[in-house]
Amino acid sequence: MIARRLERALAYVTLVIIAIIGFAPFVILLILSFKTRLGVLEVPPTLDFDPAVIIKNYSDVIFDRGFLRYTINSMIVTSVAVGIAIILGTPTAYAFSRLKFRGRDRWATTILSLRFMPPVAVAIPILLMMRTIGLDNTYPGLIVPYVAFTLPLTIWILIGFFDEIPRELDDAALVDGCTRIGVLRRVMLPLVRPGVIVAAIFGAIFIWNEFLVGLYLINSQTLKTIPLGAAGLISAQRPIDWNVAATVGIVTIIPIFLFSLFIQRYIVRGITAGAVR
Amino acid sequence: MQTARAEIPIGRHPLHERRDVLLLVGPAVAYLLVFSIFPLLYSLTISFFKWDQIRSRFEFYGLGNFTDLVADPVFWQATVNTALMTGLGVTIQVILGTALALFFNLHLRGSWFVRGVLVLPMLLTPIVVGLMWRALFNPDWGMINYILGELGLPEPLWLGDPSIALWSLTLVDSWQWTPFVMVIVFARLQALPRDVFEASQVDGAGRLATLTRVTLPLLAPAIVFAAMFRAIDAFRSFDVVFGLTYGGPGRYTTTLSFYAWENGFTFQRYGYASAMAYVMVIVASIGLTLLVRYASLRREDAT
Repeated sequence: MIARRLERALAYVTLVIIAIIGFAPFVILLILSFKTRLGVLEVPPTLDFDPAVIIKNYSDVIFDRGFLRYTINSMIVTSVAVGIAIILGTPTAYAFSRLKFRGRDRWATTILSLRFMPPVAVAIPILLMMRTIGLDNTYPGLIVPYVAFTLPLTIWILIGFFDEIPRELDDAALVDGCTRIGVLRRVMLPLVRPGVIVAAIFGAIFIWNEFLVGLYLINSQTLKTIPLGAAGLISAQRPIDWNVAATVGIVTIIPIFLFSLFIQRYIVRGITAGAVR
Repeated sequence: MQTARAEIPIGRHPLHERRDVLLLVGPAVAYLLVFSIFPLLYSLTISFFKWDQIRSRFEFYGLGNFTDLVADPVFWQATVNTALMTGLGVTIQVILGTALALFFNLHLRGSWFVRGVLVLPMLLTPIVVGLMWRALFNPDWGMINYILGELGLPEPLWLGDPSIALWSLTLVDSWQWTPFVMVIVFARLQALPRDVFEASQVDGAGRLATLTRVTLPLLAPAIVFAAMFRAIDAFRSFDVVFGLTYGGPGRYTTTLSFYAWENGFTFQRYGYASAMAYVMVIVASIGLTLLVRYASLRREDAT
């Protein structure tokens, strides 16, 4: 009995330690973001914060360094690209799940393999293509390749969700005189909504964080997304101002943190969509 | 004859079916052909050419880029770095991720919240993750070395010491991606039938025996799947390298993706970069084939 209770207590201690380790990097970053450029150098950091410094750091990052602009850009690019990927991907996933056609399996494997291609393998051609059609350094110039990057993932996740819907529903609707497109629109779409949400979330995470291809497609400050803006701190020739870098960290983590509160259960669904089936 | 006809429901004429497929699949396939498959073939073509900087045009170079690659020591170092980072990282992530999943399977009060926090790194922008850990690793004022110093432990130059930098990179990658393994294994644990464990306990098996003989074998498919998924992703690591070490010190943390990117975009050696990227595509394809084969084997098992 005592051994059992001790074990339980030990388990809770472990949980607390894990929680501290999990939280610590974020807390340290938050503290650094409250410091002046020289205040960062104090170890251990003192906890007497000056509100004026905090306001200065955050207004500097959000307004002067353009992270508000970058966040808005990320939102525009992400939502449009995810929207297009869902519109293109949903019917495709439905067809892969339900219809038999020539080359279906080969296409399914090709689409899956595109999800795993190293982006560096297409970065140069995409840059050259976008330059040729004059889309470099524009929103569409980012959106077009980003749709191509997320479409395979979108299709793949949605196939899994369509497979879970009983075929009898299709057949019943078809017998009632519905066309295929009608079945998809009126019967399947409401049922596959959780799948659409999961696919949209994973597409959004990818696009929000994409960096390699965006880096050379965009060079004007007003069009940069968050990763491109954050990279600006690194490639600058002078040493990094760490209070600013930490503030950038917090400013870019907050939207993701808020987002994660709402999508918790979908994350698990999405990751396991391919694994546990 | 009669039965065969009855199998085709009304309104599903084969001709309609073909039109439907074209309508449903056509746009996405066309999009991928133009913006994914064409660029891939384009890079394959470029890999046989050399960019002439002076005349600003491509010159045919045959297999030259590939033979240059074999002779390039940095390419081999990048290959070793990538292999080490992938191998070490996946091992750490699998062990830690599985351990965490088993721990959270105790369903302690409040553990859902801690789990939520642990999942967060996976969603973060890798560039920002790199910056964040540069601050934590800082030898002068970073918190990690401060704590190590207080404990009387050695304070390594995490990102400056050539013999440690790759480890540090792997550590950060593991911080970000261990939760991925944890989520998959944890989900699998929830899906396992409880009576298996009860039966094992009734049979008098100790907890260690239950773990090694019952639980882990049942989890193996999920673990292998997570490991292969992670391996393919770690293999193409780029952002975290850019954010954390920029490939240095020297070439000690240069990965294949990073070196290919440097060649393509910093040195304008488009052909060479494409050749290197293609070597990566081939390796990734092999990995993917294994993954698909494994997944389809499992599906046959399940039915």
